[in-house]
Amino acid sequence: MNSPVAPFDFHRCLEACAQGDRRALQALYDHEGARLLGVARRIVRDDAIAEDIVHDAIIRIWMRAASFDPARGSARGWIYSITRHLALNTIRDTRRETVLEEADIDATPTFHGGLDDIDLWSGSAKIYRCLEQLQPSPQRCILHAYVDGCSHAEIARLLGAPLGTVKAWIKRSLKALRECLE
Amino acid sequence: MKPDNDEALDTLAGEFVLGTLSAEQHAAMIERLSTDPSLRDAVDAWEVRLLELTALAAPQPPSARLWGRIQRSLNELAALSPPQQANWWQRLGLWQGLSFAGLAASAVLAFTLFTAPPPTTQFVVVLVTPNSQTAGWVVQASDSRMIELIPLGKDAVPEGMALQFWTKGEQWQAPVSLGLVKPGESYRVPLQSLPPLEANQLFELTLEKTGGSPTGLPTGPVKFIGRAVKVI
Repeated sequence: MNSPVAPFDFHRCLEACAQGDRRALQALYDHEGARLLGVARRIVRDDAIAEDIVHDAIIRIWMRAASFDPARGSARGWIYSITRHLALNTIRDTRRETVLEEADIDATPTFHGGLDDIDLWSGSAKIYRCLEQLQPSPQRCILHAYVDGCSHAEIARLLGAPLGTVKAWIKRSLKALRECLE
Repeated sequence: MKPDNDEALDTLAGEFVLGTLSAEQHAAMIERLSTDPSLRDAVDAWEVRLLELTALAAPQPPSARLWGRIQRSLNELAALSPPQQANWWQRLGLWQGLSFAGLAASAVLAFTLFTAPPPTTQFVVVLVTPNSQTAGWVVQASDSRMIELIPLGKDAVPEGMALQFWTKGEQWQAPVSLGLVKPGESYRVPLQSLPPLEANQLFELTLEKTGGSPTGLPTGPVKFIGRAVKVI
């Protein structure tokens, strides 16, 4: 559709990495590095820390490539999971302090813009069609959590909603998304 | 309609992937994932469902330095990957059964071991959780006078509590405190005041009140425990 780039074979790339082929790892980095950094940057909200995370993620991908199990998901998904969870782990323990510094979140420049990437909503991924069926606030809960790495409390403040409401929205949204995607 | 139990499990898995679990819930989840295949399946399914949302984060070209840094790390790994250490590590069996953070943690652990200068490291201790045997910390002793405690992740420590580090040799009467450690931070301890390190020496981290155990002996639950293994 709107993707002129030849599809990158993530699975074969991981197989080559498992064989010790560094060119495969470099190809992966060249192909996906900017997107991985973008994902990490949105969550940790710091350029240097985001690069640390991509560094660690690439090393882990290299070392663990042989353990990738295609029965559990796609190779691309595995790579993103490693990166996202590294980023989420990094912010998890500093969150309590982050939450207390009210001004900090609103001042974070990357925080608001991203969700306006309207083009992406016309993408083929079914998750976007399912998200469109949610009410605006529950939809934002899911996106702030997954894309921005926000805690319940951060989302509550961003949306001006009670914490309990945000938690309920997330639970209900997950159920609705699961059913929509089934 | 799913039964309530499945529903709760699936929500937990979804929130794990979203990243909205608290530090405590997350830590409990990591432990559970190593032993609960249905939960792991639920997590895998959420990873797949939500993956395409990563496209909402605008790509950011890495700095020119980053690939160089990665290459240096790869070179270090390559230069220091003696097969006997890999075998030693595999024999421990800790590679198996770890997933996600556990998986990542084991990679860091291997990284730590591979990048440690082999000729000087005499003892290594892997501190694991008592229940799930998930590796949480590594103790490296580069000589008999200094040890370093290296985190493999960040542990959730409840408010008002602290992690206290202890050791006990086989012939010692009681454990000795090596101080309070911060979750996710390395900690170096000089061992001058203690007898030299010995094989099988016990190391543990217990959960104590902030400020440490009031009695000078461990009083709280053991969070991580391991014994010194002589390397090489």
